[in-house]
This record gives sequence, structure tokens and C-alpha cells, in this order.
Amino acid sequence: MPSKTIFRVHPTLNVARFGTSDDYILAPETAAGAREADGVTIGGLPIKAGTENELVTSSDLRDAGGHLKKQAARFRLFWYDFDGTARYPGGDGSEVVIGTKLPDGRKVVDLVWTVHLANKKAAAYNVVNNLGIKAYADGQVPQRRNPEVHGEVDSPSRLNQLMIDAGPRAISAASGQSAKFDNATTPSAGNGQGAIESFPDYPVRFPADVNDTLFEPTGPLDTLGEIWTDDKGRLIVLPSIGNAVGQYDEYDVPIQITGDLNNVGWYDAASDGPVSVTLQFDDGTTETAFGAWVNCCDPGYAPQIRNVVSTWDDVYDTWVRELGLQPDLFGPKSGYNPDYEPVFDQDIKPIFGAAAQQRWTANLPEMALRSHTAVDAIDETHEPNKTIMAGLNFIRNPNADETNIGTPLMPLSLGEAGTSFLTVSKTQYFMLAQWSRNKFQTGPGRVFGPGEQLDIAALTNCLGGRYVPGIEFSYIVRSVDIYIQDWQTTGAGPFRVKHKPLDYSKADEDTPFLTGGWIPLHGMTDGLEPGDLSKFMAIPWQTDYNSCSIHQTLINTNGVNESNGAASTLYWSWPSQRPDAVYVAEEVVNNVLPAQRWSIRGPGTYAVNPASAATFQNPLQSIEQWDRIGIVMQGSNIDIEDRSFSPKLFLEVQGQLTAPGDASDPVAQWPFNANPSKKERG
Amino acid sequence: MNRHRNSFHKARQRRKGLGRRQAASTGKPSSTKLTADQWDIAHLRSHLQAAVDLEFWTLPFYLSAMYSIKDRSSDAYQLIRTVVNQEMLHLQSASNIANAYGLSPTFAAPKYEGTNIPHLDFSGDDLDEIDKFKPYTATIGALDLEHVNAMCLIEIPEYLTGETGDLNENVTEYGSIGAFYDALRYGASLLTDHLHGGVKQVDFFSAYYRGMPSLKVIDDGADGFDQVSLLIDLITDQGEGATKEDETVLPAFQNTADDVAPELDHFDKFLAIKDAKELPETFKGGGSGDQLQQILVSEFTDLRAALEHLFGGGNPQQFFPVMASVGGAIRNCWENGVSPRFS
Repeated sequence: MPSKTIFRVHPTLNVARFGTSDDYILAPETAAGAREADGVTIGGLPIKAGTENELVTSSDLRDAGGHLKKQAARFRLFWYDFDGTARYPGGDGSEVVIGTKLPDGRKVVDLVWTVHLANKKAAAYNVVNNLGIKAYADGQVPQRRNPEVHGEVDSPSRLNQLMIDAGPRAISAASGQSAKFDNATTPSAGNGQGAIESFPDYPVRFPADVNDTLFEPTGPLDTLGEIWTDDKGRLIVLPSIGNAVGQYDEYDVPIQITGDLNNVGWYDAASDGPVSVTLQFDDGTTETAFGAWVNCCDPGYAPQIRNVVSTWDDVYDTWVRELGLQPDLFGPKSGYNPDYEPVFDQDIKPIFGAAAQQRWTANLPEMALRSHTAVDAIDETHEPNKTIMAGLNFIRNPNADETNIGTPLMPLSLGEAGTSFLTVSKTQYFMLAQWSRNKFQTGPGRVFGPGEQLDIAALTNCLGGRYVPGIEFSYIVRSVDIYIQDWQTTGAGPFRVKHKPLDYSKADEDTPFLTGGWIPLHGMTDGLEPGDLSKFMAIPWQTDYNSCSIHQTLINTNGVNESNGAASTLYWSWPSQRPDAVYVAEEVVNNVLPAQRWSIRGPGTYAVNPASAATFQNPLQSIEQWDRIGIVMQGSNIDIEDRSFSPKLFLEVQGQLTAPGDASDPVAQWPFNANPSKKERG
Repeated sequence: MNRHRNSFHKARQRRKGLGRRQAASTGKPSSTKLTADQWDIAHLRSHLQAAVDLEFWTLPFYLSAMYSIKDRSSDAYQLIRTVVNQEMLHLQSASNIANAYGLSPTFAAPKYEGTNIPHLDFSGDDLDEIDKFKPYTATIGALDLEHVNAMCLIEIPEYLTGETGDLNENVTEYGSIGAFYDALRYGASLLTDHLHGGVKQVDFFSAYYRGMPSLKVIDDGADGFDQVSLLIDLITDQGEGATKEDETVLPAFQNTADDVAPELDHFDKFLAIKDAKELPETFKGGGSGDQLQQILVSEFTDLRAALEHLFGGGNPQQFFPVMASVGGAIRNCWENGVSPRFS
């Protein structure tokens, strides 16, 4: 096949994060935990608005009024020379901006971007925390959220009442357009030929349309965000303020928040949806790129702290084992190639580094700190058998029945639904095992193209493994059905969510345009609608973020302790992504670390039971004050007046829950325990 | 894991009738008894060093058995793991007591030969009870009947302990570990003038034992002795249980974090392994792997040095990594068909 030029949007999956300010910063384009070219800076830091890649400092995180800035997602377009078979990594790709001249001589004169954001959480199924994706197995589905609203999941009556759908918005980069995802802006979409069509009859849905009054503790939920382009024509997706609103009951009392995951009568302003772009050239021709997906969700409270298992690790593992990503690594019949040589700096070091970073967001004992430091000190010159990781003696094997074995196996954080403890992915474990057998490469390793690097970075900065239900994405990132599976022959490339074709010309003001949408394990392969990713997350998002600090393992295993330790022992839920214990920058003197403090602390957080430490005791407070939680950041990017901090330190900055010197619940050294249950007390 | 807990408790029932009766009037080898007046600080310190040696001896022996088990989720693996953790606690406790009496312990390489288990002398015992745990071996090896028998014998209850111990000139002259610790406690009580709390005390375990008032000796004199006595109780109770045969480990001495059966003493845990339907599958040693053995010897040598540094008042940054590395090196030997070697 003769080669042709194709176009892809990157990152394939990108994340915009809530903030209460009108100002914004840009989502990081480097991976958490990875050392940057300067040898000092650790990746994962967001980027200053209006810059190519100038990293934020601590004073960039809030506006002058103290409000947390939003984190906008930036999408870029790349062209590729495609010969009929895509490989991974391709190592190629060049960015396309307004004015780019392609090898065939055509010059880009406009980029028409279309984004569609929706939130189906309230209309979707419950998150089942001890089953996870298995709740969809064998033709089953979980109970619907808001079951008092009559109808099936696709019923127009339910969707009209429970779904938030702002509809699509299209903008021309050359015209400098922008568009808001609110009720006052007419939906529009690119027609694939470079033009934008309006759809005034599109059935936009917001909670206020069907509720006379709503409890709005932080303002009305009347937008899901906004889009515009930068001066190069790249797409910027700004999320909403991440607020939540609740219905009133028949006594005109706001419906009480009764749980963490599936609150009845509540909406939040999370959203997700497809991103597509049409290129217009100076010769009048147009081309359509392989699109992407944007997800608007929780803030990144510790952007540089890498999850030992990130969303990237899960997505990569899925693609390696199920979608033929790297035949030299894994074959459908032969399995992992025993001769495959992982690259130390790319495949091994990130896992070791992530372990060492856990200390900045969790209350680890000295034993762990020193051991993790030794793990992180391993480099490519070391003989594996002479290191602390010899024989992978302390790594939980995902291929064995070890998910209920806690200490001393790592990672020691909580596992996914139905399991006590987390495991690295099977591909991560294979890489580690190869290294352990002295079968690995040193040096720079595989070459990734700039777009491929953006894909990795965006997902590395998200939580993996413990999708109960997760923070940015849930377990469905491991479902091959959500992706474009013929990625090699179509040129789409890997990790690209399949867009369900949507014909907006059929939109009718009275009928919900979107359906209940895609669900896993039901053979649905026609693609995802807007809102089909975020609907698997908690509603409202704040209550889940708040509660998922520390738990007993039995929370995952039907209330029965299946672990090899005390039922009351507490473990971390999402320690990298949802900081538990932190060091406060203002309390660090001369780079000497003070005692840790809970990330969520101060009035309203005092816990009688250690199991609920580091949380707002009243979930409503989490809805009102989530933006006051501090951000953990590398010392070299902290700009507190007259102070300097070592780049070795990662400290909480810009916290507003307590003032320096305020007392707060002390942080216990791990292991620590929940109070005995009523049954145990007798 | 939880599903197996009931079976652990059954072991306690089977334990009834087992155990050694210390024979006051049988043919135990003659020893050099000391009176309270003859007992001095040098005697006490030699006994304290022996206590450290004894606890240290168990670590490679138990660890080698544990890491030989292929299935890390097996009951046997998990039970031995919890015992190993407590042996480390005992090592810390014995060392803290030693430092309180002015001795920073040393850590010589233990010897594993024949059936020579330190402080086990069955000549004065009811041989019928002892015979239940034969054959046994004191050599390093995979978990098999001989090793699990040895592990039971090391921790076998001594029901007549709890009385004032006989003081011996020579630490090798005690017929049992229980008798040895009885003597140690009694001998320590005689020399409280030499007891100084807060000296080179180490605590890495208090978060795992939320019920323990203290794992350090922090006071001088009589108050300090109460703390010494508490640590000896901790060692003996976790090891062989309280002096009455059906009692579980006292709540204060029970692990509160990561023990699959915190109420069971070491003897009951090992008895549960012995009495299980079958022993777990193990790796086979004996293969050629001199390099892996050398790595283990090197790591273990480093660990001994780190322990001396630690209990000598230092703060070796590499202590935990070295300790962990020893475990990895043992496992690595087994997985590659090589028997562990420590010196």
C-alpha cells in the first residue's frame, strides 16, 4: 500500500480538572514521577496558561481571590506517514498547527474542532464496590441510580430527568472562536467538510430544566465547561467548576447524602465526550483526523506523585495482552515473549520511583521509607540479584492468588473490587521479572513520537488499579470494547476510544439525543457516546474523593476480612492520587521535615474512629470545601516568599483548611487500626 | 485467608497433653549452679548475649523454611511469616534488655549443624513427648517434617516455668529455653543497680503491638526491671504461650496489624503446620548456585554488621534494606534450586 498522510489527535485520552476559579492552568504534558531533562524536575506538573510548556509554581495554583484554578486539557494534532500498518511505538509524528505545510504542499488554514460533553451519572447504574466490572457479567447490570425515577436506563423519561447533556460545540481555530457548554449556547458541530452547523433543536439538558428548585451549595450547575483554541489552533477544553447540586425532598429539605458512590437526588458537573477535528487546507480540501476523548474530573492534588499502577499501566497492559500492541512482547497464543528485554529506564525505573514517592502522600513507617529509598536507588548498572528487589520477593504476583496477602508484599495499598490488596499489572510484573532475570536493556530505549508521549503522560497522571470506582477513569479502561480495535490497519493508532457515530441532524428538542449508552461485558462495540466514561464514577464525585482515604480491607471483600492481618488494620485507598498524609511546606524549616498532617484536616474533620481520619466527617462539607485542599508539589517549584525548598521534597502548598500553627488530628504511624466494630465490642 | 483461621484454633485443642515437663529430679547433666551472691553482672551479660544469640539463631532457620514454600498464600508460609516477625521483635527486645544492662550485643554467624538446637537438652524430659517431634534437624533446609519438628521443639511449652530460675555459670547448661529465660529474669532482678533505661533502645514494632505499653526499657532500677520483665514475658508468651497450657497469647502481646492468628503462640502455629493434612510444596535445593549463595552470605554478613551498629547505638541507614535483601536472597536461592547458606 502506498503511504498516505493521516492525522491523529493527542493525547488520545486527556483529562481536564475542576477548579473554582475562572482562571486556569494547562494539564501536564509530562508523566508523573519521571525525571525531566534538567535532571531535577519531576514530571507531572501542570503548565502555565498561555505558554508552550512553562511549568507552574505554587503561586500559579490559585487566583488572587484564593480560588483553585481549573486545569484545562490541551489537545494537539499530528500528521503521520501511514503505510497501511501502524506499529507501536511508531516513534514518528509531527504536530500540525495553523499554517503547517504538509509534505504534499498543502497548507493548513483552519482547524474545526468539535467536542460534545455530557454527564449520565445520575441516569446510569450504581457503582458496586465489591464487584466492580463483574456487576455487568453474565448479562446482568447493577441496580440503576435514582431508582425512584421510573423507567429503564434508556427511557426518555429517565434521561430527560437525570442526564446532563450540553450537546456538541464546534469552533473554528482560524476564527478564534470559543464556545460554552451551557444552556445559552446553541449546539453546533463540524460537518466534516470544514463548516460548522448549528443545531438549535438539540435537546440540551441541565438539572434546572426539570427541577423547580435545587439545593445549590456552591452555585447552579449550568455549564459543563468551555472550549477555545490557542494561537496555534490547538484545542483547549476547560472543565466546569465541578460543583454538585441536590434535589429537595417532599419536606423541602435537601436530600441527604447517604453514601460515597451512588447518592440519590444529586447531580455533579463532571463530564466527558469525544473530540474531533477537521483540517481545512489552502487548496480547499479537507481531512478528518482520528479523534480523541476528554474527561473532566477531580483536581490533581499531587500531580507529580506517580501511582505505582497508573491508568497508563492498565491501558498499556490491556493493549499488550488483548489488542496486539507489541507482538514482540506478547503474542495471542504464545503469551509473553521470554526473550523480550524491557528497558530499565522506561519499564522498570518508573515502578521503583513510584514506590519511593508514596512517602509524600501516605503515612509510611520508617521501615518502608528506607526500603523504598533503597528500591529507588537501583539503577541499570546494578546486578538485580544483589538488590533489595532480588527475586521480586516483595512484589505481589498478579498471576498468583496473592491479592489477600498484605505485608510484606507490595504495593500495600487497597486492591480492586473483591480483593484486599493491589497488584501491579501483569505486564508490569513481566517486565520486573525479566529485569530480575537479568534480561533487560540499558540506555535510552524505545523511541516514542511526540504524540505518543502525550498519550503516555496524560494517562500516567491518573489513578490505576483500584477502580472502586477510581478518580479519573474506572475499570472500563481495561475493556477492549471501548477502543478502536483495528488500530493497525485504519491508522487510528492505539489507545483511541471509539466514537459512536452521532447524526445531530436528527436531534429533536423533546427527545433525549443520547441513550443510556455503552456498558461493559455486553458485547457493545459500536462506540461510546458522550458521558459514557464518567458515568461509571461516583455521584457526586466529591463524596467519593472524600471517603477514599484509608480503609480496612474488608470494604472490598463483602465485609469479611480476607487479608492475612487484623481486620482493623487500615490501608490507603488511592495514596498517590488522593493524598492522605502530607508535609506542609510552611512547616518545613531548613528542609527538615515536620510531622505529617492529614491532607483533609481542621474543623469538621476530627475523627473519633481512625478509619475516617483525613476526611470531612459531613460529606456535604466535601462538596463545599474540596477546593480548599492543598496541592503536593516539588520543593523546587514552591515559591513562598523568602523560602527555598530542596527539589527532593514534595510538600503541600496552597492549602486553605487550616492556618499554619493550627492543631489538627495527629497522623498515626502505620500500621494503625480502626476502632473495633460494635460486634467486636460485644 | 480467613477461611483457615478456624483450623489454626483446632491446633490449640490438639496441643493438650503435649509439652515438656521440666524434670527437677531426673538425670539432667550436672551444671555449675550459682547462688544469688555469686551471680554478677558479667554472668548476666553473658546470659543476655546468649538470649540475643538464641533469638538470632531462629531467624535464618525459620526464614529458610518459609521461603522454601512455593505458595506464599499458603497457611504454612503465612504462619511462619508471623513467627519470623515476632522473632525479630524478640531480637529487639533481648537487645534492648542487654543495652539496659550495659551490653551492646554482638551478632556472630549462627551455626546450623546436626541436631544442635541452642538450649535444647532433652535428657531430663518425658521422652514420649519429645519423640512426637522426631526426627528433627538443626540444619538449614526446606520445610519438611524434620524442620517442622525442630521448629516445634524450639517453641515447645515448658509448663513448669514461671518459677524462680536456677542460675548457671554457663549459658549452655540450661535444659530448655524456658528455663533459660526464667534464670535470666531472676538474674536480672538481682542486678537492678546496673539497670539504666533509655540506653541504645530501639523500637520498630510498637505500631504493630498497639496493646504493649512499651517495647523499650526506659527507666532505671525497679521501674526499669518491670519493663525488662515485661519484655521477657513478651518473648516467652509469644513463643510458647502462657504457662497454662490452654491459654492464648495475652492480648497485650498480640500483634494488632498483620498476623493471621495473633492469639496463637509459636508452638501452636508450628503444630498447626505439622498437623495439617500435608506440608506445602517446596522448592528443592542442592543445585549449583554458588553465586547466589555468596550473595546471601554477603547480605547476611552485612545484616550482622548492621545489627551490631543498630544495637550499638548507631542509626544504620541501610538496616532495613539489608534486612529485606537477606529475605530476597534466600528466596532467590530457593527459586533457583539452590539451598541457602549464611556463612
